[in-house]
Amino acid sequence: MKGKYSKLLFIILVFIFLYLPIGVLIAYSFNSGSTNLIFEDFSFKWYLNIIKNTDLVNAFLNTLLVAVTSTVISTVIGTISAYGLYKFDFPFKKLINSLIYIPIVIPEIVLGISLLSVYTLMKLELSIYSIIVSHIAFSIPYVIVSVKTTLTSQTITYEEAAKDLGASNYSIFKKIIMPIITPGIVSGATLVFTLSLDDVVISYFTAGPGSNTLPLYIYSIMKSGITPDVNALTSILLLVTFVILITLTIVQSRKIRKEAL
Amino acid sequence: MKNNKIFKTIFTLPILVYTFILIVLPLLYILFLSFCTSDSYGGIIYEFTFSNYIKIFDLTYLKILFKSALIGVITTIICILISYPFALILRRKSAHIQNLVTKLIMIPFLTNSLIRTYGWIILLRKNGIINNGLIMGGLTSSPLNLMYNRFGIVVGMVYTLLPFMLLPICSSVFEINNDLIEAAKDLGAKPLQIFRKIIIPETISGVFNGSLMVFIPAIGYFFITDILGGGKIMIIGNLIKNQFLTARNWPFGSAISIFLIIITFLLVKLYKRLGGKMDDLGGF
Amino acid sequence: MKKIIIVFIGILLLCGCSSKSYENGEINVLNWSSYIPYEIISNFEKEYSIKVNYGTYSSNEELLAKIASSKNGTYDLIFPSDYMVELMISRDMLEKMDKSQIDNFSNINPMFLNQKFDPNNDYSIPFLAATSVIAVNRDRVKDEINSYNDLLNSKYKNNIVLLDDQRIVIGMALQANGFDMNSTDSKKLEIAKKWLLKLYGNVKAFDSDSPKTFLMTNEVDIGVIWNAEATLAHEDNKNIEIIYPSDGFALSLDNYVLVKGAKNKENAYKFINYLLRHDINREITNYYPYLNTTISNMNVDMNDLFNIFLNSSYVENIGSDISKYDKIWAEIK
Repeated sequence: MKGKYSKLLFIILVFIFLYLPIGVLIAYSFNSGSTNLIFEDFSFKWYLNIIKNTDLVNAFLNTLLVAVTSTVISTVIGTISAYGLYKFDFPFKKLINSLIYIPIVIPEIVLGISLLSVYTLMKLELSIYSIIVSHIAFSIPYVIVSVKTTLTSQTITYEEAAKDLGASNYSIFKKIIMPIITPGIVSGATLVFTLSLDDVVISYFTAGPGSNTLPLYIYSIMKSGITPDVNALTSILLLVTFVILITLTIVQSRKIRKEAL
Repeated sequence: MKNNKIFKTIFTLPILVYTFILIVLPLLYILFLSFCTSDSYGGIIYEFTFSNYIKIFDLTYLKILFKSALIGVITTIICILISYPFALILRRKSAHIQNLVTKLIMIPFLTNSLIRTYGWIILLRKNGIINNGLIMGGLTSSPLNLMYNRFGIVVGMVYTLLPFMLLPICSSVFEINNDLIEAAKDLGAKPLQIFRKIIIPETISGVFNGSLMVFIPAIGYFFITDILGGGKIMIIGNLIKNQFLTARNWPFGSAISIFLIIITFLLVKLYKRLGGKMDDLGGF
Repeated sequence: MKKIIIVFIGILLLCGCSSKSYENGEINVLNWSSYIPYEIISNFEKEYSIKVNYGTYSSNEELLAKIASSKNGTYDLIFPSDYMVELMISRDMLEKMDKSQIDNFSNINPMFLNQKFDPNNDYSIPFLAATSVIAVNRDRVKDEINSYNDLLNSKYKNNIVLLDDQRIVIGMALQANGFDMNSTDSKKLEIAKKWLLKLYGNVKAFDSDSPKTFLMTNEVDIGVIWNAEATLAHEDNKNIEIIYPSDGFALSLDNYVLVKGAKNKENAYKFINYLLRHDINREITNYYPYLNTTISNMNVDMNDLFNIFLNSSYVENIGSDISKYDKIWAEIK
């Protein structure tokens, strides 16, 4: 049984590796001192201080704005495009089918600088909108891929049956396709939303005045030392995602149980 | 019929516009820039030249390419060495546990990657938690150099990119048909044989998927070398960033970017040849 | 699905409403990171009802890239150093300053005026000055240190922090060998490179943003860093000594300048005038102890200032020879 314990130990070690830095950050959010260098005393004050740090709050709101808008737009475009690519023949279809993987595989830095140089070329003003456009640019392919996997040959059969019964294109899309692809849309949107929340590299190159996002704000203060209010905000965000994820898991397993009955 | 046409346009026009404006145009422009030169003030001179590509093969820059590749390869190998046993241990567990473990892998991934990297500074510093622990435990008398060197960079890279390896390897290992392994055991196959003949072939595309999603970012993530490497070690990402922001040589920066894109395409080709599907990349 | 959309719209509205309204418009500022305390900016916003969109950069080159790659009128006020002012003037990137709009201009210390990068201060007004210095933690390093060459001692392995700035670091290597810090002579640069390769083993990190942290946390005992950083480290630990190297050192003068096509010039003048106000200006150098450029708030005495001017040099524009520096930088890293 020695093997069993060493196996368990290995799994635990991997999780320690994954969670250690986060544990440290959460611990230091309760530090009464103003740096992350020395732990002085236990205190909640940094949680209350978040509101006072207008830069931090603005950066956080900017991040939300960017993530929400870019997720909504890229989910809509990605979804209709996935269906378009699956259903129709049109010029350059084959080419597009391989080009859409580019933003997924090429290094972010290359995407960031190429978008920046195109904005420069087109004399577009860098602002929060240029970040949003850039985020849409790297998000759409993920949504397409995620939706695409839910469109199988089975779908064609349903569609044809509906067509034979005289359903219009629009009602086929609404009544038949949408329910099938919804899980793909949801998981695509979730992925894209988290990617957007976390993006440093692409935002770094395409940000304009007054459009600091949370990752950019953190990057700019990183070397001089992150203040514990940033830790506090991160801890709250982590708690929120944790709760959402757990709720989703419970809802899922209930659904599965219901279906089983 | 007209209705049909409008319907089709709605579903195909956005993707056409998107692909050409936000993918093709930027890349073509970078390609175009890579054949220009820059004046001393960072302006671009529109004269055709190969000199930027020749410059990449200068010994100085080749060394940086080599160093980045080394960091990328080490990071990838460590990620594989962690992920494989991890997935194999959990292979026989119930779907419930597997699902839970996958979620637990995702959670740290949902916090900001910079702030997670910063957590490592607190841990790895000279007077950091790990060094203090080692000294208190009597394992070392003077603090070890755990960051501002290659070690720190690799720790940061492995940490940031591990989920990209864990998730595809787990999903491919969990999908192995258990009957196949039982049958092999019945026929007297040794564990090593089973590993070589069944597990590896069944999971190789998952491994390569992970390797691709780990290696490529690992040569570009300039912020990790900046933060945990103390700005002492340059990887391709830093080199490109410097050309655009410090040296003001956009054409040379573009040439390195094109070079990086070519490497990426070759790796993707290899991945497809090994039976990998494009849709599995990034969709986790 | 509808619920999700409603929540999304709700969040969007929340984001939109959060920004307060400012009667007198806005101003787009790009400044060095850690240069003006946050309170000073928010106080200006309240007092003048002007919104300050404040962004930061960490090198002159990054600033140039940002300005060159953004549309005219994106930014109003920026703070380039000496050589970058000259370069920006030559590229017609700056607006002339109407000094009559800035009452507090008369408070500027004449020693910082009429420098060769902008002889009549047509485009620029001095903001803060910095010099590179050697900072040594005397708790742990007892040896005499006067020159950059003293840092080559193998005792200091992994014990030095340098600025992450190729011109300053290579310039220092040139000065250590008795050359001009702006030299473009290939032979001299080769010698400087060899010198840096020798020093490299002693270097723990390159950092421009906050090298003081390395000294304050005992990560290193020696730094070649900007004077303000060294002063802050000294305030934290009195045993950190500040040394002006005998080989010479770099002087950097940052300036207020208006970007060509600035849309909010009036507001920018108000902001400059505000930052030059006696009380506000003192506050800035209290937080970040660079050399104050006004008369009323001088933070070194006149003699010391003379000596600084005498022994230091500005980083100069070297045109396309920058590629030589760039290559050395890539080689040592």
